[in-house]
Amino acid sequence: MTETLLDVRGLSVAARTAEGLRPILTDVSLDLAPRRILGVIGGGGSGKTTLARALVNWLPPALKPTAGEILYRGRDVLKMRPAEARRLRGREIAYVGGDPAGAMDPTMTVGAQLVEKLRAVEPGVSRAEARARAIALLGAVRIPAPELRFHEYPFQYSGGMMQRAMIVDALISNPAFLVADNITQPLDVTVGAQILKLMREVTERFDTAILFVSSSLPTVADVADEVVVLDKGAIVERQPPAALVAAPRHAYTRRLIEELPTLWTPGGGRAAKLHAPGVAPILSVRDVSKTYVAGARSGLGPKRLVQAVRNADFDVYEGENFGVVGESGCGKSSLMRLLTALERPDKGSILFEGKNVFSGKTGDLRALRRRMQLVLQDPYSSLPPQTSIGDIIAEPLVIHGLGNRAQRRVRALEMMGEVGLPKSLYDDLPNGLSAGQRQRVNVARAMILEPRLLLMDETLSALDQTEQSKLLDLFERLQAQHNFTYLFISHDIAMVRRVCARVAVMYLGEVVELANNDRLFFDPGHPYSRALLSAAPTLEERRYRSEDCLLEGEPPSPIDLPPGCAFATRCPSAHDRCRAENPRAYARGHGDRAACFLLEATAASTPARETHDA
Amino acid sequence: MAILDADIPAAADDGARRSIARRIAAGAWASTEFKVGLFVFTALLLAALIYPEVSSLDPTRMNVRGRNTPPVFVGEGWSWAHPLGTDQLGRDMLLRSLVGLRYSLLIGVSTVILMLFVGSIVGLFAGYRGGLTDTVLMRITDAQLSIPMIILAIAILGVSRPTIPAIILVLGLSGWPVYARVMRSVVMAERKKEYVRGARVLGASDGRIMFRLILPLALPPIAFVAVLDVARMMIFESVLGFLGLGVQPPTPTFGNIIADGRKFLINAWWIATLPGVFLFVTLGSLNLMGAALERSRNRVYGGLS
Amino acid sequence: MFIVGFLARRLAQGAVIVFLVSFLIFTLLRVIPGDPVRLMAGGMAPDELIEQIAADMGLRDPIPVQFARYMGGVMRGDLGQSFVRPASGAAVGGAQFDDATRAERARVLSLIAETAPMTVQLALLSMVFALLIATPIGVAGGLYPGRWPDKLALYLGSLFVSLPNFWLGIVLVLLLSVNLRLLPAIGYQGFAWTILPAIVLAIEIAPFLIRTLTVSVAQIMRENFIAAATVRGLGRGRIVVAHALKNAAVPLLNLLGVQFSMLLGGVLVIEFIFDYPGLGLLTINAVLQRDFPLIQGIAIVTSAAFVLINIAVDLAATAIDPRLDY
Repeated sequence: MTETLLDVRGLSVAARTAEGLRPILTDVSLDLAPRRILGVIGGGGSGKTTLARALVNWLPPALKPTAGEILYRGRDVLKMRPAEARRLRGREIAYVGGDPAGAMDPTMTVGAQLVEKLRAVEPGVSRAEARARAIALLGAVRIPAPELRFHEYPFQYSGGMMQRAMIVDALISNPAFLVADNITQPLDVTVGAQILKLMREVTERFDTAILFVSSSLPTVADVADEVVVLDKGAIVERQPPAALVAAPRHAYTRRLIEELPTLWTPGGGRAAKLHAPGVAPILSVRDVSKTYVAGARSGLGPKRLVQAVRNADFDVYEGENFGVVGESGCGKSSLMRLLTALERPDKGSILFEGKNVFSGKTGDLRALRRRMQLVLQDPYSSLPPQTSIGDIIAEPLVIHGLGNRAQRRVRALEMMGEVGLPKSLYDDLPNGLSAGQRQRVNVARAMILEPRLLLMDETLSALDQTEQSKLLDLFERLQAQHNFTYLFISHDIAMVRRVCARVAVMYLGEVVELANNDRLFFDPGHPYSRALLSAAPTLEERRYRSEDCLLEGEPPSPIDLPPGCAFATRCPSAHDRCRAENPRAYARGHGDRAACFLLEATAASTPARETHDA
Repeated sequence: MAILDADIPAAADDGARRSIARRIAAGAWASTEFKVGLFVFTALLLAALIYPEVSSLDPTRMNVRGRNTPPVFVGEGWSWAHPLGTDQLGRDMLLRSLVGLRYSLLIGVSTVILMLFVGSIVGLFAGYRGGLTDTVLMRITDAQLSIPMIILAIAILGVSRPTIPAIILVLGLSGWPVYARVMRSVVMAERKKEYVRGARVLGASDGRIMFRLILPLALPPIAFVAVLDVARMMIFESVLGFLGLGVQPPTPTFGNIIADGRKFLINAWWIATLPGVFLFVTLGSLNLMGAALERSRNRVYGGLS
Repeated sequence: MFIVGFLARRLAQGAVIVFLVSFLIFTLLRVIPGDPVRLMAGGMAPDELIEQIAADMGLRDPIPVQFARYMGGVMRGDLGQSFVRPASGAAVGGAQFDDATRAERARVLSLIAETAPMTVQLALLSMVFALLIATPIGVAGGLYPGRWPDKLALYLGSLFVSLPNFWLGIVLVLLLSVNLRLLPAIGYQGFAWTILPAIVLAIEIAPFLIRTLTVSVAQIMRENFIAAATVRGLGRGRIVVAHALKNAAVPLLNLLGVQFSMLLGGVLVIEFIFDYPGLGLLTINAVLQRDFPLIQGIAIVTSAAFVLINIAVDLAATAIDPRLDY
């Protein structure tokens, strides 16, 4: 390292609290050379966001630096006069945060705000020149049709596009140093992978050094030249990513690496329980479609239709773990509303234990609701905040008129014991519970009616790795005891790998692939499945590289879907036919199937439907 | 800011254990303005309840010799027997104001309860059912909202005879639309929450979800801020009285005292102004409490109004 | 295209609202006790005469028939004739009731058209005063939550909202007009007569504006994009003026739409106190004289104004924040 752009020496930051100063960062030292990417990895509460904000001299009022210095080109950022700091900030030192959706004023066009920012930090630039630069940069970060996008409002941008726009906002003044604070966290993995690719280019094309802060080790390892590990406010080690992964020195780093789920370790799906051979399907989804009318702008004019679920078709067998995986907007939540009979499909049917869910009789629906239960996604909004935990768990019994008060109490306490909640919590309100405990309450509530099928709607997404493992163990134990069937709906492919025996992959409302666990991960049939695997956060040697599996570009809007295959816009193997015709599902044996023309040659001529019997 | 502040420790955890209603109340209680308001209001309330009972004077009995006595320390001829002076007919102003306060509070509180009840039910059904129910109920609400409430009230009370129940009914029925709107928007937000979906999947009926789950959650924040409307309704009551459409004389109300006193503004300015000061102090105490509750609620809900 | 559809939809909805209001007021006036004919003809008139007049005027027909006849007139732009007011001069007293003068009674529409501009003048001036009072206080309160400007906003707001408008009007007349002779007050002989009523009205409206501004500015200042603007290199002044205030204008506009009826209610009382010849005074007199056609006409006109103002407010709000999609 010949030249140092940024040199942090012994930085300590503390929070002002009622009890005095509480340290957030202690004695942090790091340096960064031009055009390099330094990754900073740390969990929640490690102080990484504070570090990122200290570097741009943008600490919240409750935090104050207590020691050390931050030298940018030899000048201490912390000791600058406010005016000087303001000149530096936004111009030479730029910052991109983890909330692209809320980062710009919703009432102004993106273009106007880019121009506003450039002219604020470089007053000499003319309006026309600023505009030209903004449009050129929007193109450079591969936002399609930048001249048009320039005039659009932030809410018209998708999350990934908005993050690109924020990167343009940071780069427009040609900064020498960019702080990227958790920028991929809110994005879908395949979109995040595209942003990471962009980061690597930025250092080359714009001559910018990047401090890349993230809580995901695989993400940092992917993008950074060197990685520092932050734990409890202190740097515990610094190594190039390959060395860090191969030979972590600090216990915290080792634990981080161990906790990461693996995708391609043989036997990785240890908890993935397959159904016994020959059992009947407990749930059959037959060619189900659902279309919503999006808020038509004026009540006149053409209605805009969102095809949320398109021809979904699969079986879930008694006693197995079935997974539905897909990114945001893939239709998995809509599918869940159909499965739980909260909404009717426009087309097709759903059979539960051989009976049509929508037979029309409300009595049937009530009976069904005793045997099929839902465990909800968000541990915070899923529990009624004013009801005691015991009453929440016993509520299904009240609703279905089972037992008297005393019996219900006994049952609820029994359930609390089964899911590992202390019985002393019976009369407490749920407000004080941790996310993990809340999900246990949800599980207990769902189990109390002794259902056959449990639908898990992103049940584990809000939990950290350790909690996830504990709950998965609990699910396994309960399954062994009660012979439950689980249907997991998730965006987390690693969780699916661990738990689900058979997996349906959804993209823009369609089940593009249905496969057994090992088959999906080692021999995926659909290019989108490969793209999803390539973008999954893992430290393992990747079987699929996102450079090969994923083109630049956004998923098309579900409102006006292109006529052909929905993935054609991002698929490296797409050909003309894919853009004109939507492929049907081709059978791949053992009940697996995928909807891609590439399989047409190899697939048997049998239609996919017959493989239900396989 | 949630993401950016991730490193900063969450505020005292025990705060999260209590129910929302109690957090709002505690937050308001912590502010000076609430305590000041509560103290003044309690004092006035006690005075209104007790003083007319124990006083030897009668608010409606005239005393021609003792008329137009000025309040204490003003001009000549004042006496401690009539701290706020007497009116043109020699009636004690303090007593009349306190009796007026009784009616004012009775009408203000009953009206707000009625408004809250009608508005909440309409808003609850409109917000939860959506679709056609929502459209119909909201059009009716808009229609009601588009007639200035006071015009409606005076039109009805002016043409028929104003009695206390009629006044409560008219003010309450013309004031509910705002509550219906607020309740509707709260219910529409709650309806999308996971716990409602959970309850529906469990098989809970719509009525159970609306009245057992959503209403207990949505009502307290709205009801707290209704304190502000008690003050507003008391003003309306006095406006009606002032226009001669309120509780009829000889029963004293702020409105009719001030309307009468207005004729003697030059000779005996206190008749028209002092009851107003009295009313103003009462309203001020209510509004301080209401504002403190409203701010506390906004803080609990993270700045949402 | 979008704007045409929007206007068409909102005007149609508005027509429904105005219709509902007409129906409501029309029915209410006829089902509650109080016979206008008795008032018109005077207490001494014989019952047969009253019945005859009522029958002549169609007041004894079934309510739906009366309503249909009335709405037919409304459709043609005819709001009917006042029961008691002559085409010129003061109200006709009941004692002089004479069938021959009926044709000379004032048209409701022209009565409203004469007085409405006075009320609009008063309302606009008071709105200007209210904004002048509320904007600095409310914005400062929102920018420094928990600090003294915020406390000032809270206390001033509570103070203003606790002042009964009719009482404040009397006190100000006594102080400013009678004692100090600063401003003219009672009646109307020129623009100066609008100022004092407008001040009273402004003090009634201002607390609501202050409250909304404080809350919305404080809320917007906590938004991520405001915090992000600092680190993007924008100056504080630009952030507050170009971003925070612009966003805070939307709730303020909505308030103006919703509180329109409150404003009108205030106008009514203020005009009565100041004897200001506007729509409010006309309304009170119409009610006291049981002048049904005039009450109905005023209700229809005000609800139509409410509808139009709310459409304008929504259009303005959409222009500021394109996410709002009405």
